[in-house]
Amino acid sequence: MTSRSPTRIRSAFQIQRDVIYALLLRELSSRFGKSRGGFAWVLVEPVAHLVVPVLIFSFIRHRIVPGVEYPVFLVYGFLPFLLFKAICLQIVNGTNASQGLLSYRQVLLMDVFVAKALAHAVIQAIVFVIVLSGLGMFGFDVLPARPLELAAVLALTVFLAFGLGLVLAAVSSLVPDARRIIAIMFMPLYFVSGVIFPVTRFPDDIVRWMAINPVLHLVELSRIAAMDGYEPMKYLSIEYPVALALGSTLLGLMLYRLRFLTKVTA
Amino acid sequence: MITLDRVTKSYMTLNGRVFVFRDLSFALPDGANIGLIGRNGAGKSTLMRLLSAVELPDNGKISTNGRLSWPVGLKGGMQKNLTGRDNVKFVCRIQGVRRAGMQEKIRYVQEFADIGDHFDLPVATYSSGMQARLAFGTSMAFDFDYYLIDEVMAVGDAVFKRKSRKVFRERLEHSKVILVSHNMKLIRKMCNIIVHLDAGRATVYENVRKGIAAYRAAGGEP
Repeated sequence: MTSRSPTRIRSAFQIQRDVIYALLLRELSSRFGKSRGGFAWVLVEPVAHLVVPVLIFSFIRHRIVPGVEYPVFLVYGFLPFLLFKAICLQIVNGTNASQGLLSYRQVLLMDVFVAKALAHAVIQAIVFVIVLSGLGMFGFDVLPARPLELAAVLALTVFLAFGLGLVLAAVSSLVPDARRIIAIMFMPLYFVSGVIFPVTRFPDDIVRWMAINPVLHLVELSRIAAMDGYEPMKYLSIEYPVALALGSTLLGLMLYRLRFLTKVTA
Repeated sequence: MITLDRVTKSYMTLNGRVFVFRDLSFALPDGANIGLIGRNGAGKSTLMRLLSAVELPDNGKISTNGRLSWPVGLKGGMQKNLTGRDNVKFVCRIQGVRRAGMQEKIRYVQEFADIGDHFDLPVATYSSGMQARLAFGTSMAFDFDYYLIDEVMAVGDAVFKRKSRKVFRERLEHSKVILVSHNMKLIRKMCNIIVHLDAGRATVYENVRKGIAAYRAAGGEP
């Protein structure tokens, strides 16, 4: 009964667009499909990730950041942090999680990475709009002071997460144990990225070392863009995360091209 | 026509790079069913993955003007947490089949797989037989010039086996197969060209009997 499908020859670009679209829908719907709560859970989980620490830390420490409201400070710290973490880990684990997908000739590993990054950027964006609206209802001043700057910082975050994700994925497809170490390293990242407290309270010597962590820069940049009168850390630099994003993406793409990110086969 | 031009494929392991093929070149003529034979570890599956573009060669080029399928009967391609229907939709989308075309494919697979309400349940809940039915049905819903088949073809119970053989025979009237098998009876029955893989080299035999003889001489089972 299947009539011979019309041979519509698609260009490479059209194929990639079709594939990324299909993967994006799959990524989102396999999340919806996980439980009965469906769509709600896609958002409830990350919202809870954000709301619970905001509630806890807001109650514990009221006025630790001079001049700014603490919950707003927290949310704009979590925003780049969670975005970075979600995309980076998705890509590192992407080589493993998507074995089946790659059986189709149209689907390349890079398409999977791009779709995953897009899906998580979208999810995080929706989550933050929800959380910010919630805070706004409680009378906090949540609107970003310089929205374009904030958008640029977030774009940089996605870019850096993507590049570092590629490099780490190459490392962990070579040394499978690395995946575990990477997952462990993400736990303290939360504390050393200045998400829950301002690093300006630390001594200079320590902050200088902490500034090696690019996520800390992103967190600070996000707050500068979002809040008026925020006092960032001394060693803040835009060039550093930008250079790292460019460098890691270049290195990651090179490793990808050299087939270091193998589709691991049995 | 399928041509391999100086194809090199290696895998990176902790002990360094391991080469499966170095500068492998050969051409397969049009309109032939191709049997891929060789001893274990000769690189049959790797070649199949290269042909189906599951993996890309390190170097060299594989070109064809035909449409090659994904490995038929493949279970790995099904996403376990999606329903059967969503899986078919996914395949349609990556093949560029939309709207009415997609509905037609879905109807075809649903009818062919014949797994009732399970079609709208996650694949993870399927029995292995049901998974195979869905996978085979999906492969048959699309037209290819070559179907890539790795060893196992007929799955499921007797009724389904009969049905899939019938559909497959119809399909072979205008499509060809590339078959990997250790079953020389099957190879002799289906193929008219043999590619014998041995120690990273491929020899193409237009004479099936000669190909099988070479395989046996290289130590393949009778």
